[in-house]
Amino acid sequence: MSADEVELPLWRRLLINRFVLVPATIAVAIALWNGYVATHDHGIVVGRVVDAAGLPVPDAAVVLWVLNFTTYVEKTRATTDSAGRFVITNNDSHNIRLAAEKPGVGRSARVPVRLYFRAQDIELNEPLILSGAS
Amino acid sequence: MYRYPRWPIHLALVGVSLLMLIPFYWVLKTSVTGENIFAYPPSILPKSPHPFYYVDVWYYIPFARYFLNSVVVSAIAVIANVVFNAMAGYALTRDFPAKPFVLLLFLSCMMVPFQATIIPAYLITGRLGLLDSYWGLALPQFSTIVCIFVFKASFDAVPRSLIDAARIDGLSEWRIIWRVMMPLAKGAIATNVILAFIWSWNNFLWPLIVTRSADMQTLPLGLARFLSYQEDTTGALYAFCIMVLAPGILLFLLAQNEFIRGLTSGATKG
Repeated sequence: MSADEVELPLWRRLLINRFVLVPATIAVAIALWNGYVATHDHGIVVGRVVDAAGLPVPDAAVVLWVLNFTTYVEKTRATTDSAGRFVITNNDSHNIRLAAEKPGVGRSARVPVRLYFRAQDIELNEPLILSGAS
Repeated sequence: MYRYPRWPIHLALVGVSLLMLIPFYWVLKTSVTGENIFAYPPSILPKSPHPFYYVDVWYYIPFARYFLNSVVVSAIAVIANVVFNAMAGYALTRDFPAKPFVLLLFLSCMMVPFQATIIPAYLITGRLGLLDSYWGLALPQFSTIVCIFVFKASFDAVPRSLIDAARIDGLSEWRIIWRVMMPLAKGAIATNVILAFIWSWNNFLWPLIVTRSADMQTLPLGLARFLSYQEDTTGALYAFCIMVLAPGILLFLLAQNEFIRGLTSGATKG
């Protein structure tokens, strides 16, 4: 035992060491992460739908697919408002795909969206772009 | 003062260390990219890394449950190892009739593979009513001969006069172990903790045989189950491997000084 160890009080030797500090840091990080998850897991997915020219598309149908273990199955649908904005409120997955369609305007590609946890609230940075109307 | 420069040795050691770390790096890289291991040319640096394979693993199987099972079983195995191995190690430092025979028996038992004793182990566990339980999962790992010899080597390094003095002061053999020997054998304790933890943590065959319900499975069984569920699992599989390996690596990094000291105690004279 070194001289430094002898001089330190018992509580400090027991608490201030790597066997306590490292697990404690991990426990705090886990607690913080769970707190964040608990306040951001309402299943809200927000996004926009635009046409090829970048203009908002109202009344477009937006479809949400969720991963059902090995395949994607349709979970719910939403309709865009006058600003081309849609809100889905019941996503319960962490691995989803979104696509939009409007007769006469076209349909978008199926966009994969990966989330950090199930039902994470998210606002898409990129809009769904409709194209290819016949 | 050394007669020769030390840097070439250090350089070679760093090079070998990096070489040894390549597989770990490759697993870590694949877990965040999902890159096929047979891709050619392979990319050294990860392209577009992301943590979503870890998220997949967390949700595809009951990872938290498996993790809890592994932690509980490993904790039981670690505590039992330290207690029983210390007792056995201390006994082997004492003189008693047929001691060489017992040592020889221990050494020869090390050559018997666990697979050869698995049926009796299963029958004993079943008779005790411990199948499909935490105690049953940990039971065959309560004591390991290698770790007994680690304790024996550490206790052998303690001066005999110290034990005699403790005995004159009225300490029983039991208290000599816990009050005198154990505080002087921190390296051996750390070695026991690490080895028992890693062996228990990575054990596959015994949990496979002794568990019946999915709720009692441990992480290695979860890995096998995960593989049977998924086909395209490159990224998620490697993420799972990292999640299984991480606690063992963390424990080793935390206690590596004591671990090395425990393994080398008694190895040198003077």
